[in-house]
Amino acid sequence: MLSTLATIQDQQLANGGFPYQSGEQARLDSTSWAVIVMSAFEGTDESCARGRSYLRSQQAADGHLSISADQPRASWPTPLAIMAWGRAPHFHQARDLALNFLLDFSGFHYPKGDTSILGHDSSIIGWPWIAGTHSWVIPTAMAITALQVSGIMHHQRISQGMSMLLDRQLPHGGWNSGNTLVFGKELLPLPECTGIALQALAGNTEKHLIVHSLTYLLDQLPRLRTPISLGWALLGLGAWGLKPEQTEDMINESLHLQKRHGPYSLPSLALLLCAAWAPQGFHSFFTAPLITSSSTLRGAKT
Amino acid sequence: MPHSTQDIENPTISRRELLRATLIGGGLALSGFSLLQWIKGPLLTASTFIGKANDYQMDIAHIIRHGLQELGITRTVLTEKRILLKPNLVEPHRSSPHINTHPLVVRGAIEAFLSLGAASVVVGEGPGHRHDTLLVLEESGLGDVLYEDRIPFRDLNMMEGISVPNLGKQTRLTTLTFPRVVQEVDWIVSMAKMKTHHWAGATLSMKNLFGMMPGIFYGWPKNVLHQEGIPQSILDINASLKPHFAIIDGITGMEGDGPIMGTPIDAGVIVMGQNLPAVDATCCRIMGIDPSRIPYLKIADQWLGPIQELAIEQRGESWRSVQVPFALEPEIPAHHDLRLG
Repeated sequence: MLSTLATIQDQQLANGGFPYQSGEQARLDSTSWAVIVMSAFEGTDESCARGRSYLRSQQAADGHLSISADQPRASWPTPLAIMAWGRAPHFHQARDLALNFLLDFSGFHYPKGDTSILGHDSSIIGWPWIAGTHSWVIPTAMAITALQVSGIMHHQRISQGMSMLLDRQLPHGGWNSGNTLVFGKELLPLPECTGIALQALAGNTEKHLIVHSLTYLLDQLPRLRTPISLGWALLGLGAWGLKPEQTEDMINESLHLQKRHGPYSLPSLALLLCAAWAPQGFHSFFTAPLITSSSTLRGAKT
Repeated sequence: MPHSTQDIENPTISRRELLRATLIGGGLALSGFSLLQWIKGPLLTASTFIGKANDYQMDIAHIIRHGLQELGITRTVLTEKRILLKPNLVEPHRSSPHINTHPLVVRGAIEAFLSLGAASVVVGEGPGHRHDTLLVLEESGLGDVLYEDRIPFRDLNMMEGISVPNLGKQTRLTTLTFPRVVQEVDWIVSMAKMKTHHWAGATLSMKNLFGMMPGIFYGWPKNVLHQEGIPQSILDINASLKPHFAIIDGITGMEGDGPIMGTPIDAGVIVMGQNLPAVDATCCRIMGIDPSRIPYLKIADQWLGPIQELAIEQRGESWRSVQVPFALEPEIPAHHDLRLG
């Protein structure tokens, strides 16, 4: 797995950013993921600093970071950049500007309507993928996580976001991308959405409220080997103290599947490494001791 | 569209056209022609092909090759063409294969296009509901087919984009951003599933192109397009992207609460054509739906293509001979009054 870290590090571009796939231009989501995972390791300070500087150079005046300069509404990478800046010296101003943006930013919400058409409460405020559209599970969970790993543990927006996630939980467990029931039919749960939502709710939610979702994810885990679903499933379960003993094997199996799928994107590789090394979910990745070159996977969990 | 009989143009009527219509419109009564058609010029026509296919074990490549031949798409047309196949993999679940374009139909199209001289085939999709596109490939079964056939796949949700003017002008969007791969291919083929849809009435080759729009710019599930209006967005995408061909998997379709939660229905057909509104209108008739009551098809008529029966030359089977009325849900407003009279 250390070779995977080296693969990520080797993709850093001259401007400090990282591409989504090797050979492409720098992207903010990829750069954020690369910095997040590298910052857990000793000896990566210079690469991380260059990555963080690149992120800062792309920040808009109001604090947001969009996926492309000509798509300012697509501000969903902002939480990732906040986590990449983390508590690193010299980037507090950029991070705080982004945090303020995030706290002022919400999706398009409207009064709860006819529940025979849409089951969820559309009035509960969360975060959208794209400015001006409705709030959905993944961007809301990522925003909550970014606020919390930045030290903002309690805030009205976090409470609202958690209420929104609980409201969007499917009656039989798990999360779809955001809806629950449409025309009276319960939608099907998705592992990636379920893992992200579970890790965002951990620590602030009573377990009995999400136990069906944990059951769903544990049931799905044996067959999950694609990086996004496996990575978020492991982080979601880990956040609730259910990180499986076979984590390293599962991640290695996923990495080997690149022979079938081709090289994974940089965010996918970084997510797998986060899932491998985070002792207890994504939050713990930001507080765990730095990993040295002699660390083993299991050593890193302690 | 490049292969239709008339270039795309905006369906709005100029003042001069309106004056002309006012002066002579009162007495105009041409059978089969609306006043608007008379004003705008000659009737758009197109051909569609319906092939029978009772199950997925049939020689689907042969059916598609036959359809291409019937539609006049010869080796000369396809030689050296780089083809993008865009199946519908909106939200695959192993327990519900009828949600998605069947992988063996995709394989049939790959074989057909390559055997007729295409330079390359690439498959791409930007699943509407799912972030994990690799899992989508695995759960749909398409991953096995592409791996065995050594066909590349592109995750359109995550791809860098190119922005073009919005030629449809039905939404407020001034530009549309398509995945970069559209610059790397010569033909875009919409490979949809024959399904009812709880917001749009029916989802076929035109609606399938929502999956061309990258999630990184439009969100999951294409939030910007839903916000702008589904029928309007369908029209803008089709007018701006100008897809080249459609193949509809109607061997097993979905009726009722589509596009995800409906039930499977065996229609036993593959429908094809170069003009997407014509293909979708033909599919509607097979499904027992009046295409002129599907809002986006109604607006597309005589702009992006024909939807009237008289304007569509039918090759292969007749739609009447294969018609299988799809169940419509009374509690779904978009299904009201769709039934073909």
